[in-house]
Amino acid sequence: MTRYVMVADLRRCVGCQTCTAACKEGNGTPPGVQWRRVLDLETGTYPNVNRVFVPVGCQHCAHPPCLEVCPSTATRQRADGIVTVDYSLCIGCSYCIMACPYDARSLVGGEAGFAFGQQPTEAEAARAEGKSLGVATKCTFCAGRIDAGTARGLVPGQDPEATPLCVNNCISGALSFGDIEDAFGPVASLLAENKSFRMHQSEGTEPGFYYIWDKGTL
Amino acid sequence: MAAADTVKEVPSFCYNCVAGPDLMTVRVENGVATRIDPCHAAETIHPGLGRVCVKAFGLVQKTYNPHRVLTPMKRTNPRKGRGEDPGFVPISWDEALDSVVARLNDIRARGLLDEAGLPRVAATFGHGGTPQSYMGSFPAFLAAWGPIDYSFGSGQGVKCTHSEHLYGEFWHRGFTVCADTVHTRYIISCGFNGEVSGGVCAVRRHADARIRGVKRVQVEPHLSATGACSAEWLPIRPKTDPAFLLSLVHTILFEHPRSALDLPFLRDRTASPYLVGPDGYYLRDADSGTPLVWDEASGAPVPFDTDGVRPILEGRAIVAEAMTRGPDEERRPYHNVEARTAFTAMADAVSGYTPEWAAKICDIPAETIRRIAREYLDAACVGETIEIDGETLPFRPVAVTLGKTVNNGWGAYECCWARTMLATLVGALEVPGGTLGTTVRINRPHENRLMSVKPGEDGFMNANFNPTGRNSWLSKPGGRNAHRTLVPIVGNGPWAQALGPTHLAWMFAKDAPKEWPQPPLPEIWFAFRTNPAISFWNTAELSQAMARMPFIVAFAYTHDETNHMADILLPDATDLESTQLIRIGGTKFVEQHWEHSGVALRAPAIPPRGEARDFTWISTELARRAGLLERYNAALNKGAAWAPLKGEGYDFSLATDEVHDVDTIWNAVCKAATAELSSGAEVRDLDWFKQHGHYVVPFKREDWYLYPTMVRLGLRFELPYQERLLRTGEELGRRLHEHDIHWWDSQLDEYVAIPQWHDVPERWAQSVRDQGGDPDDYPLWGITTKSMQYTTGNNAGIPLMNEVAGNMRGHGAVIMNAATAARLGIKAGDRVEVRSHLSVTTGRAEPVQGCRPDTVVLPGQWDHWKTPYAKDLAFPSLNTVIPMSLPLTDATGSGSDVVRVSVRKAGAR
Repeated sequence: MTRYVMVADLRRCVGCQTCTAACKEGNGTPPGVQWRRVLDLETGTYPNVNRVFVPVGCQHCAHPPCLEVCPSTATRQRADGIVTVDYSLCIGCSYCIMACPYDARSLVGGEAGFAFGQQPTEAEAARAEGKSLGVATKCTFCAGRIDAGTARGLVPGQDPEATPLCVNNCISGALSFGDIEDAFGPVASLLAENKSFRMHQSEGTEPGFYYIWDKGTL
Repeated sequence: MAAADTVKEVPSFCYNCVAGPDLMTVRVENGVATRIDPCHAAETIHPGLGRVCVKAFGLVQKTYNPHRVLTPMKRTNPRKGRGEDPGFVPISWDEALDSVVARLNDIRARGLLDEAGLPRVAATFGHGGTPQSYMGSFPAFLAAWGPIDYSFGSGQGVKCTHSEHLYGEFWHRGFTVCADTVHTRYIISCGFNGEVSGGVCAVRRHADARIRGVKRVQVEPHLSATGACSAEWLPIRPKTDPAFLLSLVHTILFEHPRSALDLPFLRDRTASPYLVGPDGYYLRDADSGTPLVWDEASGAPVPFDTDGVRPILEGRAIVAEAMTRGPDEERRPYHNVEARTAFTAMADAVSGYTPEWAAKICDIPAETIRRIAREYLDAACVGETIEIDGETLPFRPVAVTLGKTVNNGWGAYECCWARTMLATLVGALEVPGGTLGTTVRINRPHENRLMSVKPGEDGFMNANFNPTGRNSWLSKPGGRNAHRTLVPIVGNGPWAQALGPTHLAWMFAKDAPKEWPQPPLPEIWFAFRTNPAISFWNTAELSQAMARMPFIVAFAYTHDETNHMADILLPDATDLESTQLIRIGGTKFVEQHWEHSGVALRAPAIPPRGEARDFTWISTELARRAGLLERYNAALNKGAAWAPLKGEGYDFSLATDEVHDVDTIWNAVCKAATAELSSGAEVRDLDWFKQHGHYVVPFKREDWYLYPTMVRLGLRFELPYQERLLRTGEELGRRLHEHDIHWWDSQLDEYVAIPQWHDVPERWAQSVRDQGGDPDDYPLWGITTKSMQYTTGNNAGIPLMNEVAGNMRGHGAVIMNAATAARLGIKAGDRVEVRSHLSVTTGRAEPVQGCRPDTVVLPGQWDHWKTPYAKDLAFPSLNTVIPMSLPLTDATGSGSDVVRVSVRKAGAR
């Protein structure tokens, strides 16, 4: 059984937002919508201060709160663990946005703005298709790339053409992706060899997003 | 998302910052560039796995930015100034080029130099030489033209890691210096913000190193992204790093046994054993003039290069007969004179720099300084070796890196020296794991710093200082920033002018020193990828000087604060629209040392927008219209576009009397470059590069290190003692005083044989007093920091960058300590005024814990008033409130992004 997960190694992440920009450009999200972003967190009191960078986005939970509250069945979960939104079914009620403990969903109602105002650039026009207006959107783990890649026999997380864009473009090597059920795969090995946690585990969501961290609590 | 009918992937590169170039792919869907992707084909050859940083993702919006200047324009309002509307109107390329060429031809008819002997044509290009990777064949045009003044800087050459450039290259061919991150285990980083500005190679390598267990101690007033990724943060008081580093040298010399040092390295590869006389110069053999050492075996002084000599490293002795060579070739004989070794002179000089002394200055506890010194020595692995490319080399996995504001202006000489000495003491200079240089710019060839090493005087490698002798010193500046006259160490190579002091050109444009004639402004000033009107200091006054330029030709992307003063705007095709081949790999700036070297093509992903033209076409047209075609083509043949077109076994020279189109030129360059790289075995043309993007050959990892070259040539690093600098300074002082010039006297104080602490922060307080202010009215330090999204990327007008940068704390804000903010009644989000004795800038307050209570941080370079989009952001900028100041200029001609400020809520009294 395949279960795709993301791993963020917080020892590596430098907060550069390359993943954020690559996701925005690749997925054509409108200004202000970030399916992947990196938080810049500070703890402690001067001079004993820690600052850490935490990539976040949809956690593709095994028990997604967003799915439970979705009245239109637009939010679904694939067999490989990826949580999806069917834009043709979504009614834009925002229940899922309220339910998500990870602040991972966005909804742009009405008309989307564009980078330079109300008119899209040619590049934006080429990427935007209008279907994502008025509906909930979020990280898809680049499901389209995964599907197209696996159809060609490629391995997500190892072959770039079958791997999420944020992972392909991460310059520090902080982001990894793959099938956690593949015991000998890179993701399983990474998690077996390092301390990790998942966010808000007490919520019982069983996220598909792991954080490698060896410095105690964040 | 609907599938595109046609998709193509176009190879390209990003060299928007000096930490590149890196390779990438442009995705083009139905003729529209939509996305930047990694160059996966380069994963095995590029240290950053074929990826580019966040800046490159701005290129799509940059290309389709509706604010672009897309047609040539001319100014219709002859009055220039911030408050004047230039009245730009579109014109044809013919009219634009002809109007430029008419000026050029008029100059050529009257002479390329003006009555003051200065070039009538000037040019300014932006950050770190990177614009050359986007200006196509323009260097061939400049070469065809003749003398050009590059004096007018935009911050580079002054605000860069300037002292490291000059002293690093002097001492170890390290124009830029880094840790050998691949091998190192312990890094002391004084403000080096590599996780932000080190490029993808540095980011990846440091991330790998952290996983491997490297310990990096980040010493800086504000907890940067690099500090965040470090094992420890030491919040040092601004501009007191020399005290910290000198104290580390003291602690190692006085609190640890000599066995902790690499004694053979010090004895054989440095000037440590050289004997120093009472006048501060080396004692020399009276006949040969060779520096003396004390031979342990014979118990007598002998020339350092005597066969079988066993020099003692430290101590004092009486030397019966010797001489010294002082300034102006003055030979001073000595008899029965007490001498000490250079090593002992160093120990004497740093004897007072105890941790307790330093703690009071830099606000780092003495015990912490002792611990850092101990950890450094423990990690140094003195005596160990490592095998690299089959060669056994010393293994010293400790390094010291310096950030920008540590590395320029007053105090930077001391920091550079102490850093290099910390490496030298344990033999960690230019060996695996240690402190390395990665490129040269003052010496040649630029492509291979090892080949730039030639034997010079006194057992050291050669140095290319500007002369300071009575008959050789250039008393009247040959350029508007007087680099040859005032800064001997900068030399006079192609990069020397742009290495500063480039702010002096702007200052002297208003008021030249009374001893020199007022330099006429250049009659034509070319500006490309540069915006000094916001990126230098005292931007208001600089803009006024710029407005007096009689004729400015700006290669324009959008309207901005600099080209607001221009007479002609020329829209060049930008990154995704143009063609150029550049060198990649080998060892380049920052941490760009690869195990391959070669060339990469930037192929046009889409046609130029509007009337924008490829820079090579523009250059060819300028050359043709100016009657310089033959010289232009000859320059191309000589290699002005990166590779000589004729070499051993190949000849792709262009006919000099013909106009060649863009592809013809780059086709020749592609073929010549590959022939050169493969020693004639392979020739790849432009079409091949459009398919494959890059071509590389192996580059030995051993060649990352200078040490083997020094051993092979039997040379010593010119450390610890700076006899050459001492002599140079004395000579320069004599020359200046002979011409009754005394305004450079404080800079002359920097020419000492062993750097000494002086009250560096006090210089900024005195600067306030000099301007009639009271330093107590400006109780805080204003400093700046970079962000990866913006550093040098010309991304200020790109909304995507602003959006993603907004995820990082302090973007577009005034970062300040939370307790300080509370004391001043400032809450997060309040608009605050940051005021210096010069000016004021305003921004949103962002209180944090990771900042010293006496420091505020203004990231980036802002205060735009013309650049579309950026001008509406209302971000603050430290540049606005920092003066251009001679007293705050060090001997190398650099200054620091530091200023005394006060902060209060905007509108508060």
